[in-house]
Amino acid sequence: MWQAIKSVLAAFLGVQKDERRREDFRSERPGTFIVAGVIVGLLFVLLVAFVAVMAAR
Amino acid sequence: MASQLPPKPTPQHSTATAGGMAESGHYRPRGLMRWLLTTNHKEIGTLYLLFSLTMFFIGGIFALVVRAELFQPGLQLVQPEFFNQMTTMHGLIMVFGAIMPAFVGLANWMVPLQIGAPDMALPRLNNFSFWLLPVAFLLLLSTLLMPGGGPNFGWTFYAPLSTTYAPPSTSFFILSLHLAGISSILGAINIIATILNLRAPGMRMMDMPLFVWTWLITAFLLIAVMPVLAGVITMMLMDINFGTSFFNAAGGGDPVLFQHLFWFFGHPEVYIMILPAFGIVSAIIPTFSRKRLFGYASMVYATAAIAILSFMVWAHHMFIVGLPLVAELFFMYTTMLIAVPTGVKVFNWVATMFRGSISFEPPMLFALAFVVQFTVGGFSGLMLAIAPADFQYHDTYFVVAHFHYVLVPGALFAILAGAYYWLPKWTGHYPPLRLSQWHFWLSVIGVNLTFFPMHFSGLAGMPRRIPDYALQFADFNLASSLGGFLFGASQLLFVLVIIKCVRGGEKAPAKAWEGAEDLEWSVPSPAPLHTFETPPTFHPREH
Amino acid sequence: MRRLLVWMAGGLTLAALNPMALANGWNMPEGVTALSRDIYSLHMIIFWICVVIGVIVFGAMFYSLFRYRHSRGAKAATFHEHTSVEVIWTAIPLLILVAMAVPATATLKTMYDASEADLDVMVTGQQWRWRYDYLGEDVAFTSNLGTPREQISGTSEKGENYLLEVDEPLVLPVGQKVRLLLTSDDVIHSWWVPDLAVKQDAVPGFVNENWVRIDEPGIYRGQCAELCGRDHGFMPVVVEAVEPERFEEWMAQRKEAAQQEAMSADREWGLDELMARGEQTYGAVCAACHQPDGSGSPPAFPALAGNQALLEEPDRHISTVIDGVAGSAMPAFRNTLSPVEIAAVVTYERNAWGNDAGDSVQPSEIAERLAAQGE
Repeated sequence: MWQAIKSVLAAFLGVQKDERRREDFRSERPGTFIVAGVIVGLLFVLLVAFVAVMAAR
Repeated sequence: MASQLPPKPTPQHSTATAGGMAESGHYRPRGLMRWLLTTNHKEIGTLYLLFSLTMFFIGGIFALVVRAELFQPGLQLVQPEFFNQMTTMHGLIMVFGAIMPAFVGLANWMVPLQIGAPDMALPRLNNFSFWLLPVAFLLLLSTLLMPGGGPNFGWTFYAPLSTTYAPPSTSFFILSLHLAGISSILGAINIIATILNLRAPGMRMMDMPLFVWTWLITAFLLIAVMPVLAGVITMMLMDINFGTSFFNAAGGGDPVLFQHLFWFFGHPEVYIMILPAFGIVSAIIPTFSRKRLFGYASMVYATAAIAILSFMVWAHHMFIVGLPLVAELFFMYTTMLIAVPTGVKVFNWVATMFRGSISFEPPMLFALAFVVQFTVGGFSGLMLAIAPADFQYHDTYFVVAHFHYVLVPGALFAILAGAYYWLPKWTGHYPPLRLSQWHFWLSVIGVNLTFFPMHFSGLAGMPRRIPDYALQFADFNLASSLGGFLFGASQLLFVLVIIKCVRGGEKAPAKAWEGAEDLEWSVPSPAPLHTFETPPTFHPREH
Repeated sequence: MRRLLVWMAGGLTLAALNPMALANGWNMPEGVTALSRDIYSLHMIIFWICVVIGVIVFGAMFYSLFRYRHSRGAKAATFHEHTSVEVIWTAIPLLILVAMAVPATATLKTMYDASEADLDVMVTGQQWRWRYDYLGEDVAFTSNLGTPREQISGTSEKGENYLLEVDEPLVLPVGQKVRLLLTSDDVIHSWWVPDLAVKQDAVPGFVNENWVRIDEPGIYRGQCAELCGRDHGFMPVVVEAVEPERFEEWMAQRKEAAQQEAMSADREWGLDELMARGEQTYGAVCAACHQPDGSGSPPAFPALAGNQALLEEPDRHISTVIDGVAGSAMPAFRNTLSPVEIAAVVTYERNAWGNDAGDSVQPSEIAERLAAQGE
């Protein structure tokens, strides 16, 4: 799972090594990555929302 | 579910044979019926592309009516009502009738060839999703002839202008958009099914060409947002015909709700129109740089990230509608962040060219122009992301310049690049070189002469969607109109290129371009009606 | 040839960057408020950031195109990724954007602080005019396009402020914080004056807030920015900023005029008088949809000339003007027009363009109806 989250974070940054990519796609189960993507996506929304709320004070 | 299927091709063509459609010697409808009933991905792809080209010229004529009226201040050619119908129809036709079907057409042709599949996974559905389109757009165009005229509320059709104050033909507009939406969803399902199930033995997801990758992600975006569009236009239909008040403030509704729903569809839609373009350019630049794409992995991951982020930025289209401060800040931050993975793609293309061995065939010319001009559109996008400044930019020609830079010298140039790149595969002939170069250079000059001055007129204070303007905007509009007519006329050269290329010309070998690597270049040029009936063995490139 | 191209490119760049050229309507105006100058500087900062990034990216690209041409025998390298370079070129734009977000956030917070205003003005968008209501002052008026139709159709010379002039501008005092409350009677409009850096949607059923503190007296022109139907392009905004003393004088005059108008509703008006006044009001308010010659543009806007229903039912005619027609583009003029204006315009419509009702409607009659409705 941690690997998947790291990959999703790399995706958000837009940088990934070929080697890591091959490892990611070696697993035949995209489920982990989808779950990780949704979780990181939600965390991202919460983080930005938090920053926005703090900035608006 | 899909992941449990082994990555081996299903013998799709044999089912088609059972329907009496495929093998030579069997009964095959001729003439019109052949095209009406075809389930072949190449024929349907051609239909999509021809349809899109037709719509491109119809939408282009509407744009030229607009540009002709704006040639100088004052009302000369058309009245404001008709002008508004022209701007609206131009937008609707170009977005839903020209750009999107062009990408679907390219996907139909190229995705099976690039993954070594014999056809699309669902050929009959493929036929159905194409033939919905001519019906949808005939219906849409027919509204122009109805009493009260066609849609006149802009392609974003904000309520209540598009509900309480709309012409009577609006229900037909809604129906036609429903049909186009269904067509898109079915097309997307088909593309996903094809990519996940029909890849050649040995080709894993990570080996897929970037065009296939970007289309896979685009297809998921389509399935996610098209129902939202369908929902919002259904609510409009109810408001107009059944007395509901979703968007009618007098009945307790909220006009701003419309904008939230529309842009929740509309912003991912922007990426639907640009991600496949990224895929095309990512195929062409390495080919003509004779060097592998720089950062393939980053590109795939960044595309996925952009797809997710594209659902979190919609309200940056609504900065002046009166959102609370926190919402403004949230959408400003997310919008600025989405610029990063997008920018990284441009860096990757430049790095691909760096220390390559570059030649300038027509597809490469268009791809290079895409990179430069799309980046210009990206820059103005970055400026628009700054919410306080957007209070000045919003709804001006600066915005018009921005999205046209992304869509015309951006998405459209990528489509043209793709057409030039794959024409040898489709027709067996290289496009005529001189004519292609003329087409390219006239297009570049025309498109920039049209859209670059719009930055200035917008900053100087010209609102969009006005049929007449104050005198200080006259010079910019004159330039834009001249450019528009030049660009429009030079697209006739493209038709000429296609006709010549179909009729004859220099013969192209299977591998038409020296640096091309993907699977489509392993089948003969022109590609026979049925390819990969025996699945090819795919050897991933050694790294 | 190449040298010529370089010179041309250089000349164009210089022309584009020339501050004089930028000042002459090629760029966003700096404006006349503290906020507009903040926004202008944000705009210029992000513009120069884009220019710098553009020079670097396009420089690298054109260098590669030139240096590594196949025709020059360039051999392609084989590298295809470099993680640290990729991280760097991702991180730098990210940092630039974070740095950019800080001043943008500060400016946005100032824009959203409309508290402690010296004056409140309600701005109401209507197809296709603006109505200004000085809250608590009993002064209100509509502001219509001032450009004559002949200029638009091209039968007469276009004036200097073509399409950017109105019959009555919004008058505001300089140096005072003016709160603008925006709403709409029909579709969404957007009130925009570039020099004031105020653009805010006017949404039916909702009230938006914005504010402005003008530094210099002057006349500032803008337009409706949100597509609002046929005459969206003919709905200008003009703000006249004056010294506070002059503003007080103007306000006193307006109040007196309003009182006189109210008084005049009580007296008996002659047909000619009503027709003259009605023609004026009709031209400003009704002609946009129903056309100057009363021919309308069916089906949305019915013809008034030769309209039998209108001629036979004076009572319904009056209530249509007062209450509008629900679910159509016909607005209620109850609050927009004075009893005198309603009486005049109805009389005009009944007797102009060959309509021969021959009757006249008295302002006192309308005032009574309005009073009865108000109860």
